Amino acid sequence: MTELAQPPERFRVIARGAIGNEHMQSALDLATARLRGNRLAAWDALPEIEELRQRGHDARMRVIRDVDAYIEQFRTAVEARGAHVHFARTADAASSYVADVCRRHGARLAVKSKSMASEEIGLNAALETAGVRAVETDLGEYILQLAGEHPVHIVAPAIEKTKEEVAELFSRVEGRPVEPELGALTQAARRLLRQEFLDADVGITGANFAVAETGTVVLVTNEGNGRLVSSLPRVHVALLGMERLVANLGDLAVLLRLLARSATGQRLTTYTTLLSGPRRAGEEDGPDELHVVILDNGRSNLLGGRYEEMLACIRCGACLNVCPVYRKAGGGAYGPVYSGPMGAVLLPLLVGLDRAPALPHASSLCGACTEACPVKIPLHELLLELRRDLVERKVASPFERAAFTAWSFLWSRPLGYRLTTALARLAQPAAGLVGPGRRWASGRALPRLGRRFRDR
Amino acid sequence: MPAVQLFATCLGDLAFADAVADAETLLREAGFDVEFPAGQVCCGQPAFNAGHRGAARRVARTFERAFSRATPIVAPSGSCVTMAAHYLPELLGCEPFDVWELSAFLDAHGAEVPRRNEGRRVAYHDSCHMLRELRIADAPRRLLERSGATLVPLPRADLCCGFGGTFSVRLPEVSLAMADDKLAGAAGAEAEALVTADPGCLIHLRGRAERTGARPLPVHLATALARGIA
Repeated sequence: MTELAQPPERFRVIARGAIGNEHMQSALDLATARLRGNRLAAWDALPEIEELRQRGHDARMRVIRDVDAYIEQFRTAVEARGAHVHFARTADAASSYVADVCRRHGARLAVKSKSMASEEIGLNAALETAGVRAVETDLGEYILQLAGEHPVHIVAPAIEKTKEEVAELFSRVEGRPVEPELGALTQAARRLLRQEFLDADVGITGANFAVAETGTVVLVTNEGNGRLVSSLPRVHVALLGMERLVANLGDLAVLLRLLARSATGQRLTTYTTLLSGPRRAGEEDGPDELHVVILDNGRSNLLGGRYEEMLACIRCGACLNVCPVYRKAGGGAYGPVYSGPMGAVLLPLLVGLDRAPALPHASSLCGACTEACPVKIPLHELLLELRRDLVERKVASPFERAAFTAWSFLWSRPLGYRLTTALARLAQPAAGLVGPGRRWASGRALPRLGRRFRDR
Repeated sequence: MPAVQLFATCLGDLAFADAVADAETLLREAGFDVEFPAGQVCCGQPAFNAGHRGAARRVARTFERAFSRATPIVAPSGSCVTMAAHYLPELLGCEPFDVWELSAFLDAHGAEVPRRNEGRRVAYHDSCHMLRELRIADAPRRLLERSGATLVPLPRADLCCGFGGTFSVRLPEVSLAMADDKLAGAAGAEAEALVTADPGCLIHLRGRAERTGARPLPVHLATALARGIA
């Protein structure tokens, strides 16, 4: 199981490393700027974008406010087409189910297309324990698997890798030099992966959406690997978060218009795959069995609460691409799976605030994320709410709480304000020696407190 | 003469008294009678943004008590105006305030500004609260242009400068790296001053520039307009 908890100082430590790494800084800057620019151009080309965003929000909230009913509707529809549906309460339950499916089929090799949910549950490690080799076939995920690393961006998982680093990894696997040039790298990945597709017993995908009315699993990909993974092996397992459901094909159309535009700036991705059940009699393509695993893993905690809107996230990555903190700290600082503003909101909600107390503070609250979210999730407002919960549930340190409380009593009267600021003026020479003042002064001059404006 | 109430803000009162005085001058020159309610302290934002709602409420009440609702409130701080306009009514359960950011107020009232920046190259840094919460982007630029300045665009003007209240001390390395990008952008644009309308951005960017020797120096908008950039 992937460890999602984030010790308090971890973000700062990893971010510090990222900031010191020039290659990473330039890769982050270039990639996020390009993706952001693409999204803005795609949004600009749609005069109705604001209305579409609202419709996207409404479509997502419709399902989230009644998710059990939509899950049942989906289950009935897809089971009628011969698929198996399994609802997994926890990460372990989901992994065990997938491992069991593999075991039942005597599978040795599973090919995977990109799935953040599978990263979330640590599926690859669970499969390995069950004696199944899992091979990532999304180019970025494949690179990271070779490097033994975790994704740092939910859409472009290897965003921080340079082509030279990728060439080195591929050369090692191929046993001969691969040029650090995009064409050569793609060809190498193609050679390396083709046989895996043909040999695999099980194909594992995520799902961008699942349509309740028709029992359809929807995959949105650019590399075509999703189609190979879901059609070549005898067994297909689709793993999806319980909030991936949409009510009907009409809502799907709205969300598809938003997703690719917001993620990469494309009108649609190269492949939009709608899967409705395993291969039927007379059909040439498709798996003999389809298993749909619907994952809770903490999501139902959000239902009906102040954070419910976070479940509307369509994983486009737009908030990462505009986030000035992500741009500096990189994805790894947020943890092994979700990153950027969406990760900073989602992770504490999935694992508990006490297990990810730094994430709500990994933001300057600039609001760029909220502005970029295609389904209008008020991300920075949710971060503000999480900070409030950190205090009210006493996760924030007693020292911090005592300091703000004392400050607030002193500043609740002009006299208290006058006294404390007069003292602060006297204590100026020592301000940079301890606590927050020291952290401030580590890289900045302290302000000079002169005569107050009110005393002039 | 129409009156306004000047909200100095705590940062302005303590660290940028000159900029607040410049704001007062601009308002006077625009024909307003400037009142300074003596009971004012702070809008409570430092605690609010750190999640301490109770503490924020306690301090924010000083704002509610100090300011009359009969006269517009003007502050030389996009951030504090955002707090007062967007969050205080809900936090305190009170009626909205008639509160204005300085440049938006001056611009809306067609204020003339002296041509103290004739031919000078100036970069304007949008504070996030002004840009995204108050949606004020044109007013400060228009005023700078009316002061004779030529505005030079900053690269990635959408990016936050890295202040973010307690963020600046919780994640100092990230915060400083963001400041360095902003300062480098202004230098690259060959601006003679980096002007911002927010004491928060200013205390952070100026502190960083003073430490590293980066130029141009960040300046408050009120100062740039009332006295010209240095």
